[in-house]
Amino acid sequence: MAESQGPLTAAMFNVMLALADGEKHGYAILKEVEEHTAGEVQLSTGTLYGIVKRLLAEGLIAEVRRRPAIENDDQRRRYYRLTDSGRQMAVAEAERMEKLIARARGKRLLKAFKPV
Amino acid sequence: MAIAREPFADRFYRGLLRILPFDFRSEFGDDMEETFREQRAARARRGSAALLRMWWATIADIVRMAPREHVSVLAQDTRYALRMMRQNRAYTLAAVTILGLGIGANTSIFSVVNSVLLKPLPYTDGDGLMVIRQHGAKAGVDDMRFSVAEVNDYRRQNRTLSGLVEYHGMTFTLLGGQEPHRVRTGVVSANFFDLFGVKPLLGRTFQPDEEKPGAPPVLILSYEFWKTVERGDPKIIGRKYQMNDRVHVVIGVLPPIPQYPNENDVYMTTTSCPSRSSAGFIANRKSRMMSVFGRLKPGATAEQARADLAVVAKRMEQDNPDTYTSALGYGVSAAELRGELTHNARPVLLVLLGAAAFVLLIACANVANLILARMARREKELIIRTAMGAGSGRLLRQLLTESLIMALLAAGVGLGFAYLSLELLTKFAGEFTPRAREIAIDGWVLLFAVACASATTVVCGSLAALYARGNVARGLKENGNQAAPAARRSLVRSALIAAQVAFSYVLLVGAGLMVHSLIELQKVDPGFVPQRVFAVGFDLNWSKYREDSQYQSFSNRLLEKVRSQPGVLSAAVSSNYPMDPDLRGSFAVGLQVEGDARPASELPPVKSLRFATPDYFKTLGIPQVTGRTFLDSDGADSPPVAVINRALANRVWSREDPVGKRISLDGRNWFKIVGVVGDVKEFGPSHDTPYQVYGAIAQNPMYAGTLLVRTAGDPAAMTGLVRRALLDLDPETAIAHVETLEQARADSVSSPKIATRLFGLFAVLALVIAAVGIGSMLALWVRQRMREIGIRMALGARPADILHTVVRQGMVLVLVGLACGIGGALALTRLMQTLLFAVKPTDAATFAAATVLLPGAALLACYVPARRAARIDPQVALRCE
Repeated sequence: MAESQGPLTAAMFNVMLALADGEKHGYAILKEVEEHTAGEVQLSTGTLYGIVKRLLAEGLIAEVRRRPAIENDDQRRRYYRLTDSGRQMAVAEAERMEKLIARARGKRLLKAFKPV
Repeated sequence: MAIAREPFADRFYRGLLRILPFDFRSEFGDDMEETFREQRAARARRGSAALLRMWWATIADIVRMAPREHVSVLAQDTRYALRMMRQNRAYTLAAVTILGLGIGANTSIFSVVNSVLLKPLPYTDGDGLMVIRQHGAKAGVDDMRFSVAEVNDYRRQNRTLSGLVEYHGMTFTLLGGQEPHRVRTGVVSANFFDLFGVKPLLGRTFQPDEEKPGAPPVLILSYEFWKTVERGDPKIIGRKYQMNDRVHVVIGVLPPIPQYPNENDVYMTTTSCPSRSSAGFIANRKSRMMSVFGRLKPGATAEQARADLAVVAKRMEQDNPDTYTSALGYGVSAAELRGELTHNARPVLLVLLGAAAFVLLIACANVANLILARMARREKELIIRTAMGAGSGRLLRQLLTESLIMALLAAGVGLGFAYLSLELLTKFAGEFTPRAREIAIDGWVLLFAVACASATTVVCGSLAALYARGNVARGLKENGNQAAPAARRSLVRSALIAAQVAFSYVLLVGAGLMVHSLIELQKVDPGFVPQRVFAVGFDLNWSKYREDSQYQSFSNRLLEKVRSQPGVLSAAVSSNYPMDPDLRGSFAVGLQVEGDARPASELPPVKSLRFATPDYFKTLGIPQVTGRTFLDSDGADSPPVAVINRALANRVWSREDPVGKRISLDGRNWFKIVGVVGDVKEFGPSHDTPYQVYGAIAQNPMYAGTLLVRTAGDPAAMTGLVRRALLDLDPETAIAHVETLEQARADSVSSPKIATRLFGLFAVLALVIAAVGIGSMLALWVRQRMREIGIRMALGARPADILHTVVRQGMVLVLVGLACGIGGALALTRLMQTLLFAVKPTDAATFAAATVLLPGAALLACYVPARRAARIDPQVALRCE
């Protein structure tokens, strides 16, 4: 049963972004979020699994039944992937942000194009 | 490879996870531990500061998210429970009603217990208030009241009391309104209300100057008098009334609090009371009429006060040997006011609360059984949920949530119940304690109802879970379809039925004892014939009646007028009458017999003294035993005469004829005994017959206060006429009350009657709940064995055999419960001893009646499902499986 519990938080969006390029287990998500934000966002396990529970409940991510090759796997690890609706949601969120950034540039709050 | 011991950090983390809901843990726990392990290893490489930051964030986040996760599980359980309850309306209704009755019975009684026994007195620092009494142990006088000299001695000489005040009750006629009002007046010391810590609602209380001789009279009104008679007039302060021939000015109105020692309409200071302020009264150390109260000094204990007052008493005894003779056995006692206010109510309230608790226990057992029965039907659902990974803890939580919701609904029903019964209970408690008016549903009562509900939840939920644990795993192994009822569940359910029977039996015996006791009370011969007699209490405006002859002439004219009314058989004037509500008080005076050599301590105290006209005995139907009663010739100029009752005659003159002896109650006025009459239960059927003396009212005309009339027809039809006759003779006569003697007699047993009704109601509730419980359990038993019964019938069992089997199933449990119940009743009913009159707590007849009634009702309850079982068509039963 998918029930929306309000808007996406930054932490949730970060987790979805981490899963955008493929299925990952818990620690991999933490690591990627931390690296991609240059250490700015450091999720604790509690926060991460709170988010995982919510994203699972809203059908935005799903647990992967099929496991990676046995030599890379740890028995206890669970892998998550972005679902189609999760991907749509992430895209919508990214686009919304893009528009916001464009407006901020229009108001000269940000400099024009700066390569990332 | 040896398994390394798990690092402390991991064990700590696992421990931390335990504060999260079970569901969350079982879903993500292992994964979280794994992730945490990797995260910790990575951080450790970056140094201890990073590690510390990680620990801090981890602990803080888990602590922060735990409540939210718990709420979300609770919300989910609640939604689920409500859905289940909607789907099973009949079941929910039954459970909520049964629990509601149980909680309602408890909440109602608790609202009384709370207000009367538990709450502090409504007086400021009520625990320091003491009631002080003088007694004459050897003369058999428990409370001989105080004289002015005694009040002064105790006030001046005590060291442990910060204040000592006096009180006595009078009845005066208040003029100034539309009709003369007979007002109950409390005559008190100026600092009476300050000592009790009572703040007036309007105006002020008395000031010391207002108790000085010659001070202008002032009045304080009780809240009720102000509300009813003066209609809550906010401008009442300064209102003037005519009373005792003087003008009294209202200075204050009391708040609505229980008045102690008596309910009064108005209060005045001692100097405004004509009797209390008369020089003769003040001078006589033996003229006693006042009650005395004190407040302990800060730090002083009741024990110290008692010792202190005893010293004063000893000194008084030494200084006044003539007053405190050795035959009197003089002494003083001090009791805490709180205990005094409630000691009459305590036993009956606690017994009723116990009975109500039993009803709740039965209701709990019943509802637990309902839950179990429904779980048998939900077996498949529960098994599937277990198979899908719901742990047993999760199921327990779900069951508890369901029971809690039900219990809270039931608490609502119970509070409604308590609210509706409030008026009845207040009236009931009013028979025992002046605190009854404080009865209300307050926060404590709400809390109690919720506590009852929670206890109910725990009991019902745990009992149900007891079954769930043992059974679900087994159910999984079997196919869950035709799973025979698990032995454990069956045992739990059987025990619950037996417990209900046992509790019901105890309640039935309790109620039976009360009923038996009430029957005994009503069988008591009151000693007079109350039918078709009524009494009118009246008060003449004494300021106009100064002479004995005026009273005498009023009495004569009144009787003449009343006797001339058609339908009046006889009429009499007396000071008061048997079972008069105004009579409840302790009166006891020592008897003296002329020429009797026995010491005074061997003569019994006279506890009832009444003045009456000659027709009194005929009007009330009191038989004459020897000698004569009063004659018209026993007047003011003839020698004083007295009539005594048989009990006194037997006690003092066991072998002699008392007629012709001379007796005195004060050592100054002597009466010649002219006759002996039958004994009368003056104070109600449960009290001992008092030693009684009657005097001729013609020789003491000022005591005229009651008109008694025996009628040929319905006395109620005559009261109006008689009332008018009284007012015609003197329009300033205040009429206090009009009641038939049958009413007075009924009122004298009204409190046992209400207690019996309440107890009986509880017992009937218990019986019905238990019987329904047995019936529904058997009905389920039958439904689960349709196939078995069908096979047995197909194999030739007759319907009667099936009937017997089913009934036996139920009755075995009933008999087990009955055996426990008899044991329980024998142990518990002795707590009721003080409530019983002429009935032993082990009364065989009552036990026998309950032993027949309970199995009878149970048999009926068993018969219904048994008959249905016996009518099963084997073909249909076999086919539907």
